[in-house]
Amino acid sequence: MAALEQRSMEIPIPAQEKELFALKMGPQHPATHGVLRLDLFLDGETIAICKPDVGYLHRGFEKIAENKSYAQFLPITDRLDYIGAMANNVGYCHAVETLLNIEVPERANYIRTIVAEMSRISGHLLWLATHALDIGAMTVFLYCFREREILLDLFEELCGARLTTSYTRLGGVRQDVSALFMDNLTKFTDDFPTKIADYETLIDTNRIWLKRTQNIGVISGKQAVQLGFTGPTLRGSGVDYDVRKHRPYCVYDRLDFQVPLGRKGDIYDRYLCRMEEFRQSVAIIKQCLEQLPPGPIVNDDAPDLIMPITPQRKVAADSIGSSGIIQLMEDRNIYMEGDVYVSTEAPKGELGFYFVSDGEGRPYRMHIRSPSFIHIGGIPAICEGEMVADVIACIGSLDVVLGECDR
Amino acid sequence: MAEINFTKLLVHLVVLVDVVLLHVAYATYFERKVIGHMQMRMGPTRVGPMGLLQPIADGIKLFFKEDIIPAAADRPLFYAAPIICLVAMLSCLAVLPFDPNHVLADLNIGLIFIFAMSSLASYGVVLAGWASNSKYSFLGGMRSMSQVISYEIAMGLSLVGVMMMTGSLNLGQIVAAQAASPFGIYAIPQFIGFFVFVVSMLAETNRVPFDLPEAETELVAGYCTEYSGIRFSLFFMAEYIGMIVMASIGTICFLGGWNGPFTVPYVPFFWFLLKIYAIMFFFFWVRATLPRYRYDQLMDLGWKFLIPLALANILLTGLMKTVLE
Amino acid sequence: MIVKHKKKRNLLETIFLVEILKGMGLTLRRMFSKPVTCQYPTEKRQPSLGFRGKHALVRNPHTQGSKCVACLRCVTICPSQCISIRFHQDEENGPRLLDSYEIEALRCIYCGYCAEVCPVNAILLTESYEYSSYDRQSIFFDQEKLLANWDEFMDQGNHNPHTYVNPFWRPRGCDIKGLAAPRRKAVPEEWTREGQIVGRKHKAAASPAPPEQGAKQ
Repeated sequence: MAALEQRSMEIPIPAQEKELFALKMGPQHPATHGVLRLDLFLDGETIAICKPDVGYLHRGFEKIAENKSYAQFLPITDRLDYIGAMANNVGYCHAVETLLNIEVPERANYIRTIVAEMSRISGHLLWLATHALDIGAMTVFLYCFREREILLDLFEELCGARLTTSYTRLGGVRQDVSALFMDNLTKFTDDFPTKIADYETLIDTNRIWLKRTQNIGVISGKQAVQLGFTGPTLRGSGVDYDVRKHRPYCVYDRLDFQVPLGRKGDIYDRYLCRMEEFRQSVAIIKQCLEQLPPGPIVNDDAPDLIMPITPQRKVAADSIGSSGIIQLMEDRNIYMEGDVYVSTEAPKGELGFYFVSDGEGRPYRMHIRSPSFIHIGGIPAICEGEMVADVIACIGSLDVVLGECDR
Repeated sequence: MAEINFTKLLVHLVVLVDVVLLHVAYATYFERKVIGHMQMRMGPTRVGPMGLLQPIADGIKLFFKEDIIPAAADRPLFYAAPIICLVAMLSCLAVLPFDPNHVLADLNIGLIFIFAMSSLASYGVVLAGWASNSKYSFLGGMRSMSQVISYEIAMGLSLVGVMMMTGSLNLGQIVAAQAASPFGIYAIPQFIGFFVFVVSMLAETNRVPFDLPEAETELVAGYCTEYSGIRFSLFFMAEYIGMIVMASIGTICFLGGWNGPFTVPYVPFFWFLLKIYAIMFFFFWVRATLPRYRYDQLMDLGWKFLIPLALANILLTGLMKTVLE
Repeated sequence: MIVKHKKKRNLLETIFLVEILKGMGLTLRRMFSKPVTCQYPTEKRQPSLGFRGKHALVRNPHTQGSKCVACLRCVTICPSQCISIRFHQDEENGPRLLDSYEIEALRCIYCGYCAEVCPVNAILLTESYEYSSYDRQSIFFDQEKLLANWDEFMDQGNHNPHTYVNPFWRPRGCDIKGLAAPRRKAVPEEWTREGQIVGRKHKAAASPAPPEQGAKQ
């Protein structure tokens, strides 16, 4: 009982903090990007102490995974980082395929690369929109959503849903690209660079924007690595680390693209990195569209969507016929024992899946290394010493999504 | 002293307040339409043709909404704050000359009176922040107070140039002197003063890029976080009346008041209204374009840039005046 | 690659607020361009083919009942476990007869797995997305409601119930031999492996152009 009392929810305030002005920001606050709560202790308007508090959106995904087959968990990965669902799908399937030794056809890999980069653009668009809105530039928000709408329409054309895509399958993707999709995507890649100019006209050199972002929320490369930052947040500090380059997956090793790096690690550098990633992603999509090979979109040897959780027990209705995409592999042993950690470059950073399998059709234990969670851990290091208004800008520049953080 | 005709005064008063409140209502509509189209949206379209009845619907909604008062609020001050704001802003209207013959109170200290009243309105804001007993409101109130104090100085100094050129504080006389000046408007000879005035006008009315007291992404809604229903709408009205008053001062002091390139028959206040609308459009245009300053940067700008600039303007105006005479 | 910082603004640009005026010019220009708004209730958006919306059970044109054979594959795969089926068998090893088919649509996460695993194309997610309601009961679909949803979808979308195919029953780019017999419905050419869209690089290789290129070389 005593132990329970000690673990009460209240975060103890050290004696010296009692003179400070405590401000509880969130979970219901317009700029905390969901349900992040920050315990701020202010000295005037300067942040003396900042304590992030997460878990308001905890849905127990890692535990759910232990009770679902690998295929069944796929729609749930849509709900991790609900802004870039495609990238999560790709990352998850890539991890499971590594665990179960499933080959992915060439064409499917190209399509996966395309959709992952599309989801990076749409994720960054939403980041730019909300980041600009946080700093007060309202119009950028709506201009970004104008372009994001096109991408979401493309997702809908491809897989029937705009946000919760559930597009990839073990050993491939669910559906081939259509002519309409290809045409619209080509048009989008041609138009998009001119749209980026719109955003840049509004904020790139604007003196208020520069004042709000330059030399604020500075994090050195060394510190960023220590905090475990990944993705554009890390690259803004000038550390050259990109999973797409260092451990290439899909077809990234065959594509020609560059990884933008910042210099100082302030908000503006992170902003510039992401803006450059827009252009690089467009370049990647263009190359993929050009090189897209013919062939199957799913590996014929891949496991069926209905993959019995235990190898011994077969699904009751095998006699009627197998599912649409893949034949049920009765003989092939797809049940692997062992553990695997596979990470991919999601829009927010390195999205890793760690599986421990004891030879069943579901993971014994799964862990999701979500970049948002780790970035939120860095908020105190970035924010302390800055002002209240900068906290908002800092959170915006980290690009956190609480669905992924709390998972 | 001339005998005051109370009936006439009362009618004048009622008409003025009604017209201004109607302007406030439609200023919100105008704002939403302008910003909407700038953002490639449409703005209100549902209530009435082209959404023209939207402000009325909003008013009705706000009037009938539940009036929530926080349990720990300081009730008398909480009640009084929005009223102070609104009354102070409305009393500014009394000295504004809309055309040569229509001015409710032709005061000799018109300009000073407006400054006094608009500073008084910030009392309402500070009290609202304090009485709400909420931290966001409190921060909003504090920010508003310091912002008004610093920008009031810049604005006052920016208008000193105009006062020097006119030699009067009476708004009617300022317009008359302007009409007689070589350019017809003071915005050209007093361009530094005009620039400082425009910037501090934005700050004084808490508009983007200086909307810190109610910065929604930082302080939720600043000083009016805890207000709802009709009390919130009083603040809202006060803010928009403040915008109209500031636009009027800009028109009177820098843009030549009711004088225009030609006279429009039967509508003596045509040019006055047109200039006010133009300035209001500018307010909205800026809101659609610019990000928001940070609190200390705002103070930097006010104290280290605008006030010295306004002082330089005074010096320059004085020198020019001595040289020319 | 180090990102390029824009060059610092010079004194003249600082004084004349050049970048702010540029921004304001952009917003002013945009004010006169066409709004992108879709006025939703009056102007409905056409969802693309295969949109995952309201559930429906396909009505069998011969029996007027559902096509479901109670194989329970959809029940097994459903990640949110929102489907429940009751069936009985008249005789041992006889056909299963469906008693009830219920979908609790409020729990559904619209992944489309049920339609994908169905061996007889009995269930689908239609393109209808307007079915919100004030009570839970009307979004709890039983067999009659699901069949009615199918009729409604056929009427509203002007589909022919005999020829309609949903991309979930027969994904684009999928081989016919991998499908169970009842699922082998005729599909548009571009849905098959032969009609696949490929990149320009491979298009050039597949078309008769290469021999010419070879001749040149």
